[in-house]
Amino acid sequence: MSVITVFNALYCNEEMIVPQLVEKTGYRLVEDDEIVARASTLSDLSRDRISRAFTARTSLFNPFTHEKERSIAYLRLAMADILSQGNLVVNGFCTHFIPASVTHVLRICLVADMAYRLEKAGNLSFPEKDALKMIHKSDEDKSAWTRQLTGNADPWDSALYDIVIPTEKIGPEESVHLILRNLNTDVLVPTAASLAALDDFRLQATVQVALTREGHDVSVAVQDGAVTLTIEKNVLMLSRLEQELKEIVEKIEGVKTVTTEVGKNFHQADIYRKLDFQAPSRVLLVDDEREFVQTLSERLLLRDLGSAIAYDGESALEMVREDEPEVMILDLKMPGIDGIEVLKQVKATQPEIEVIILTGHGNETDRETCMQLGAFAYLQKPVDIDILSETMKQANEKIMRRRREGGS
Amino acid sequence: MKKKERILQAATYLFARKGYSDTPMHELSKMTGTAEGTIFYHFKNKQGIFLAILEDLKDTILPEFEQYRKVESENTGLDMVMETISFYLYMAKSREDLFAILHQRHPYELAVSNAECRDILEAIYNCFIDIFESAIVAGQADGSIHSAIVARKSALIVFGMVDSMVRFRMNNLYDVEALYSELIESCRRMLQSEPC
Repeated sequence: MSVITVFNALYCNEEMIVPQLVEKTGYRLVEDDEIVARASTLSDLSRDRISRAFTARTSLFNPFTHEKERSIAYLRLAMADILSQGNLVVNGFCTHFIPASVTHVLRICLVADMAYRLEKAGNLSFPEKDALKMIHKSDEDKSAWTRQLTGNADPWDSALYDIVIPTEKIGPEESVHLILRNLNTDVLVPTAASLAALDDFRLQATVQVALTREGHDVSVAVQDGAVTLTIEKNVLMLSRLEQELKEIVEKIEGVKTVTTEVGKNFHQADIYRKLDFQAPSRVLLVDDEREFVQTLSERLLLRDLGSAIAYDGESALEMVREDEPEVMILDLKMPGIDGIEVLKQVKATQPEIEVIILTGHGNETDRETCMQLGAFAYLQKPVDIDILSETMKQANEKIMRRRREGGS
Repeated sequence: MKKKERILQAATYLFARKGYSDTPMHELSKMTGTAEGTIFYHFKNKQGIFLAILEDLKDTILPEFEQYRKVESENTGLDMVMETISFYLYMAKSREDLFAILHQRHPYELAVSNAECRDILEAIYNCFIDIFESAIVAGQADGSIHSAIVARKSALIVFGMVDSMVRFRMNNLYDVEALYSELIESCRRMLQSEPC
């Protein structure tokens, strides 16, 4: 009856480890595709639309369609349905739906450092630039996903798993052994409590679907059939809303009691606005020191700051033209077109882009030149990540202010 | 009229026209011929005056709505909804200052941090919407209103349409008198059981 879940970063030997687990255990493999297909049957949404829930991007129209919330609610219900079959290896995004209270699940995470992942992608004959783009996109999506479901923006955080395997250090064979050794422990035998938790999970998913269908965005907790609904949106006619929620939920089979409560964000007028506008949304990092800039990008990602990378001046200018970044973090010393020249050209063609210089070689003259050319700030390597993200926020405030004043 | 009532009346007048934050206390003092010290004797502070106005609004308007609701009617539920629309628009016009205050931002901002303000506003809106909702429920019972309509949500939507007409008039967006009959017909078409 036990279940193994595997959530992995892209290019971390998952294509070897997961099939071997299936073979050695005889368990059935369940992937996101199957869960999406089931969610699509349960709802009136197409598979394609449901799959969009796995991407970090949310449609501008989502506030009216609630498509993302609906997709997630149906995916959760599909996951709960399938999970009750037992003897499964589940691989993919949907593993994060399973609550920690369901204890007969062994939760595995596969990660590796960027150099290893790039090398693996290289073996699959992707050019490095494309591989990096894919990895960043995938990491960004996974970070958005775990943040949405667990509140944790670090998708590889050990708190979310039983075992986190660094696959650049532990080979595929050894990884499989490690997992199997842990599978054969008493802890993973389904207990009465764990099975009850599974029932609660299924009921929670059912309640969430019913509420989402009616356009309500409320968090749901279930304990032994007792449902607690937490209202986060600030609503003046609260008792009216509570009454409506209760009427929807009480009808559902298996619900014993319904209580409503007000969440801690209830009295904050608009929590989402704060989240959305504090940080710039399009950041371009330009630096020829690959390792440094990749690490920087990852660390910024953990602070919810997504970024694109250019390794030289020429591709930076090309990305400026095509992708219109809001903020640029620029090294001065680079082969070919150097940082000062990039700064000059950017400020000549797209002065609204805020440029933060980050250099290890600069002197006082460089600083003056850059500031005169219109750089937003001039920072020296090594840089404190807090100072850098604070500077990025200030740059963003300037952009927001200008947009408000410019009326566009 | 008692001094306290006079202060409230003047404050309602000023808050409705100038807004809460743009009404200085000395102006209220000048208008009522009362020393600022006397005002603060009756009310704890400016916010206290504002809450007293809301409380007063609740105490004067709600009984009228309750009264209206209790009147026995031979009419169908659908007709009752239409009458309620007219009654709401009539009340909004005859109590313009009070409704102007309800249409400002301030009371809702205050409600976020002030439980008393929140309770008063919730009671006011509950009363408004209950009237629409009970008429819709009655209409579904007597067959004049479509059974597939969700009474709770439709009551809010009809109220939203009607209340925004009040806003139209207050801000002189349009000659709303010219819209009333179309508004009432639209609501009728939205709710009635058989499409015409």
